[in-house]
Amino acid sequence: MDKHEIEFTLNGKKRRLTIAANELLLNVIRDDMALTGTKYGCGIGECAACTVLVEGQAMLACMLLAVSVNGKNITTVEGLSKGNELAPIQQAFIDKGAIQCGFCTPGMVLTSHALLTENPSPTEDDIRDYLRGNHCRCTGYKAIVQAVQSCAKANKQ
Amino acid sequence: MKNFNYANAASVAETLEILQHEKEKAYLVAGATSALPFIRNGKINNKTLINIRNIEELRYVRVANKKVLIGPLTTLADIEKSTILQKYAPALVEAALNFADPTIRNSATIGGNIASASPAADTAAPLLALNAVVTAVSAARGERRIPINEFFVGVNKTALECDELIAMIEVPKEAANRSSWFIKLGLRNAMAISLVSVAASVMVKAGKVQKVSIALGSVAATPVRANSVEKALLGTEFSALNIEAAAQSVGGDISPITDVRASREYRQDMAVVLVKRALKKIGNL
Repeated sequence: MDKHEIEFTLNGKKRRLTIAANELLLNVIRDDMALTGTKYGCGIGECAACTVLVEGQAMLACMLLAVSVNGKNITTVEGLSKGNELAPIQQAFIDKGAIQCGFCTPGMVLTSHALLTENPSPTEDDIRDYLRGNHCRCTGYKAIVQAVQSCAKANKQ
Repeated sequence: MKNFNYANAASVAETLEILQHEKEKAYLVAGATSALPFIRNGKINNKTLINIRNIEELRYVRVANKKVLIGPLTTLADIEKSTILQKYAPALVEAALNFADPTIRNSATIGGNIASASPAADTAAPLLALNAVVTAVSAARGERRIPINEFFVGVNKTALECDELIAMIEVPKEAANRSSWFIKLGLRNAMAISLVSVAASVMVKAGKVQKVSIALGSVAATPVRANSVEKALLGTEFSALNIEAAAQSVGGDISPITDVRASREYRQDMAVVLVKRALKKIGNL
């Protein structure tokens, strides 16, 4: 297996490391960067628990080879807050109790964040469609949709 | 994970050079959403992955004289938002909207979708119905044009040679394609692999069907045209009654198999239903 030196920006910080060609971005974030907010769910692009933002776009870290993000700007759930101040979407999840076991939450939060960046006032249908790949096995979708809706409302005001 | 080498290609020229050097060992990856599952289950092993994700010159949707030109690295997210394709190839936009979920659509590309040639590839049936043409390019032989009906040759097999790259996909700019439509039947709303998909493009003149092409996915080793349905419709009045009758003959055009998702019989029955629905939607019937 050949090794590659890569450099990328993770949550605003430049990171440089040498990795094997077959390393998934997901494993590099969790094991090498020790950021475990990004969850390893199915590993085959079905559950979206590993959602990260690449150049602001929601993508699955289990579907990305780490070598392929050389030079890119990546945000994980740890990078959404500013110090102790939570991003509006994070606060909305707390306020609406949109968390049960919490495993899907980082992915849900990041996908919702990407939706609100793209479309600041989505309808319920827009929200459900955009989050359709993010699975919550506690089936807590109602509160999750409400959390995104409350952010959308705040955006409108 | 399995063993492979990796090369990053920053331009078309560089990609062609690596392809020529690696030949059979080469495996192009863009969005990697179909390649990674293949790597994990061992279908791709001991290959040289060539990362073409960042070649911006291959990511565009443009209108030319009588065609719409689509760069192979145009993502499914680009397609669903493209006003050009909404106007000239709505079937393709509808397929993009039904493709996996928004996170996958940010990665997956139209070139990758057809190059991996899954019988269930969501963009394959629309491109077939739209009579698209694929331009392939290699360092050794330059460019050549492959009509989409010659592009898919089997499950995960295309007419592309191992040293070729998809340079462009063209869709004719014509009335039939402007009214095209796509319907997909899956087992769920998100991340579904289709059980049957149907794309159709129809031109009606003076109430009669003057041009029609209907393509189906997931019902044979490659996407197929519904030749007998097309034949039955050509020249007739574009009415609900005629559509109902013509759709019955789709069984002769397809050869579905039974797999984990659905039985052969169910696919045959649903093919009829979906052909009817797609055509009625186009005719507002």
